[in-house]
Amino acid sequence: MIDLPFYKPHGNEIELFEHAFRKQLPLLIKGPTGCGKTRFVSFMAKKIGLPLYTVSCHDDLTASDLVGRHLIGDGVTYWNDGPLTRAVREGGICYLDEVVEARKDTTVVLHPLSDDRRILPIERTGEILSAPPEFMLVVSYNPGYQNFLKGMKPSTRQRFVSLRFDFPEPELEQQIVIGETGVDAMLAKRLVNLANSLRTLKEHDLEEAASTRLLVYAATLISSGFDPMDACRAALVEPLTDDEETAEALMEIVYASFGK
Amino acid sequence: MEEYVGALWHKFITDAADKRYPKEAVTLEQIGKTAGILFRSWGGDSGLAVKSAAATAHGAKRSLLQRIAGSNLKAELTWLDGETLHLPTAIDLFPRMDLNRDLYIWLIALAATGSDAALPWIQRNQRATQDVLARFPGLSCRYQRLKDAVLSTRPLPERLSSGEREQEEAIRAALLNPGSVERLPPAVRPPQPVYLWLHPDPPASETASGKRDDPQDHEAGACLKKENDRRYQAERVDMPDSKDGFMMSFRAESILSWAEYIKVNRPTEEDDSPDGRPAEDMDRLSVAQDGKTAASRLKFDLDLPSPASDDLPLGEGILLPEWHYKKQLLQPAHCRLQPMLARSAEPLPLPAHLSATARRLRNQFAALTPSKVWFKGQFDGSELDLDACVQFSADRMGGFQARERGLYKAHQYRDRDLACLLLADLSLSTDSYISDRERVIDVIRDTLFLFSEALSATGDRFALYGFSSLKRGNIRFHILKEFERKYNDEIRGRIAAIKPGFYTRMGAAIRHASQLLIRQAATQKLLLILTDGKPNDLDQYEGRYGVEDTRVAIHEARQMGLRPFCVTIDEKGSDYLPHLFGINGYVVIRKPAELPRELPLLYAQLTR
Ligand SMILES: Nc1ncnc2c1ncn2[C@@H]1O[C@H](COP(=O)(O)OP(=O)(O)O)[C@@H](O)[C@H]1O
Ligand SMILES: [Mg+2]
Repeated sequence: MIDLPFYKPHGNEIELFEHAFRKQLPLLIKGPTGCGKTRFVSFMAKKIGLPLYTVSCHDDLTASDLVGRHLIGDGVTYWNDGPLTRAVREGGICYLDEVVEARKDTTVVLHPLSDDRRILPIERTGEILSAPPEFMLVVSYNPGYQNFLKGMKPSTRQRFVSLRFDFPEPELEQQIVIGETGVDAMLAKRLVNLANSLRTLKEHDLEEAASTRLLVYAATLISSGFDPMDACRAALVEPLTDDEETAEALMEIVYASFGK
Repeated sequence: MEEYVGALWHKFITDAADKRYPKEAVTLEQIGKTAGILFRSWGGDSGLAVKSAAATAHGAKRSLLQRIAGSNLKAELTWLDGETLHLPTAIDLFPRMDLNRDLYIWLIALAATGSDAALPWIQRNQRATQDVLARFPGLSCRYQRLKDAVLSTRPLPERLSSGEREQEEAIRAALLNPGSVERLPPAVRPPQPVYLWLHPDPPASETASGKRDDPQDHEAGACLKKENDRRYQAERVDMPDSKDGFMMSFRAESILSWAEYIKVNRPTEEDDSPDGRPAEDMDRLSVAQDGKTAASRLKFDLDLPSPASDDLPLGEGILLPEWHYKKQLLQPAHCRLQPMLARSAEPLPLPAHLSATARRLRNQFAALTPSKVWFKGQFDGSELDLDACVQFSADRMGGFQARERGLYKAHQYRDRDLACLLLADLSLSTDSYISDRERVIDVIRDTLFLFSEALSATGDRFALYGFSSLKRGNIRFHILKEFERKYNDEIRGRIAAIKPGFYTRMGAAIRHASQLLIRQAATQKLLLILTDGKPNDLDQYEGRYGVEDTRVAIHEARQMGLRPFCVTIDEKGSDYLPHLFGINGYVVIRKPAELPRELPLLYAQLTR
């Protein structure tokens, strides 16, 4: 039996992923940071039994970083596959995390791969690779207000089957916190309530909502013996705001959940 | 000397009677931001503003000392209406600052948790208390502390006459054991105010009573009146107030109360208070009797100018929808927007007082371009393009005909592909003076000039419009510069001709501006809104209604792929702008005189 990463499904996403994989459809996952997108993809890769090639996208990412480039060694040059090419050649999941961070001229290389042609032309070597059935393209992004100007080109977005993740329902999120950190149910419940109070402040008072990841951090600190309120300050309050007055107000919310 | 002794005596009397602790006071101003954040995070409506509550008469029995001191007539309590969370201006009930602060936090939690308005006051507050304690275990210690502190300030039941005694006992039991008391026993007077609970009978809110055209609006602020409550009201009216002949002691919050009420007409002025009690004592009369506030009182129908002297209307007008937040629906074709053009705007050069600033801005903006990027495969550039070089030698070694190609990388600016529409509020409020010399409109005019000067140096496409409104049938949309048009003396003439008028129906203006902007073929589309205050207009477009419609219009713009951004000189802007534009969607310019220079720089930042 393979050792699957811990993953609690929100809904039917496992099934959708499996169908998409079988029917060779590319998948787009959108959702706020730290809500489990990456975890889900690594879980699915293990479950289906495929190698996973993850690329974290950023401003300077070029098409060569994805496709590959020539390297020079000992008087000869040789071609080195990028992660995308390797996934196509060998079969596997290529996961582009935070795809909107990459420039638009970079992501055009995905176009021929993400429609029914499923090919990857490598201009440099003149090759045209056909993706095998074991290849799957998965991209994710956070459609928050912050990314507004970047956004995703509709012509790119329209090539993917899309899945929206949000922060898990309280019950589920408690189970995630317990599963990840082994804290008791009572503490998990308090943390999740606290996170949900903080989440209502998104847009109006805070730029970002408290993520499941931060919640897991807080629980980890507490379960390793750190004072609960200090743990919340370090893992939930300070990461969300630089404004001191706001931080103090958030601490009041913490006190209301944990007692002072 | 006599006066001095009088003052001392008065102070002695009030202190002894009131047992307040001004040195330990916590004010709403101190915790204002926290209050808003806590309220929202605990589930309170994010569209509400947090404001200080007017003290309201409670009608309860006062001690002899209090009657001599003319104090304990009123209590500052907490309540919610459709627009506002009203909290006490200051809390100085307890001898310790942390307790006073805790009381604020408790009241906010209570208000945010809400409760069934149909329940009688005593049940409602016990229920809310239970809910808060269940939701926020961390507050239970505080509740215990506050409850003890509050009990120690309340009259001892055994000292009260029958009726009042039973009432007081019920309240004590309800505080000790929330959920245990079914009803408040009747008595001749209402009980002493319970500072741990919400207002038994909040004053009618601005919207609830100020509107006559929409009966549904009445449900907003009013809580259902129960038998009990109505009795208080009667009591309050009958209250014998001729006995309290002393001036109230001065407390900081009276200044606030003054400021609030000076604006309101005061029916009491001639007909009573021969003793000249300060305005603080009159709030209930002025606010509740006809429910009008200064804002609504100032509204009178402004007549539209005669067609001959007014700006030239273009076309038949455009029908636009409007959001009704209580019904949660978009009312189609609810507004008519009329594009118009200044009739007698002569072409003009840039006003002389702006020319130096304009020159400087133009120079700055000529250099303004977005982030630099590396362009690869260039024939010229500052660095070698390694990839290309390697490819080139690989091809050569492989015996391929080396294609002609660029082997350099160049660090260059990307093309700006940007369109910006600036929408300026020209409502009558911009006619007010912000300094000895300048009105808001003058600042807006200068801003439009300098903004245009700066942008025409960048080559970014931009358009300028102004708006005002007189009810939903007359939204005046002034064309200053269309996207296609070059910025020249003719446009400058139009900018020079803007003048303030009417109200601010922001939603419709934003919807139309969005339509104009969306037609532009640019990748980035910025919708800049320049204003001096909240949306408002005569026909129910005030307070929450106008704010929510504007919010929806902004949301629609964002859905369309536009980027709305608001620049305001309203210092109170932070109360409502985050609700409209999100935390990153606006700025408040603190010194309006700097707006003309600030705006172009802000634009530079926004589009970098
Ligand atoms: N459904 C889930 N099951 C298990 N763990 C989860 C789940 N969702 C979130 N997590 C936890 O949250 C953390 C952050 O999730 P991650 O997948 O990295 O977020 P994202 O990729 O969306 O930014 C994970 O490391 C894991 O601890
Ligand atoms: Mg105005």
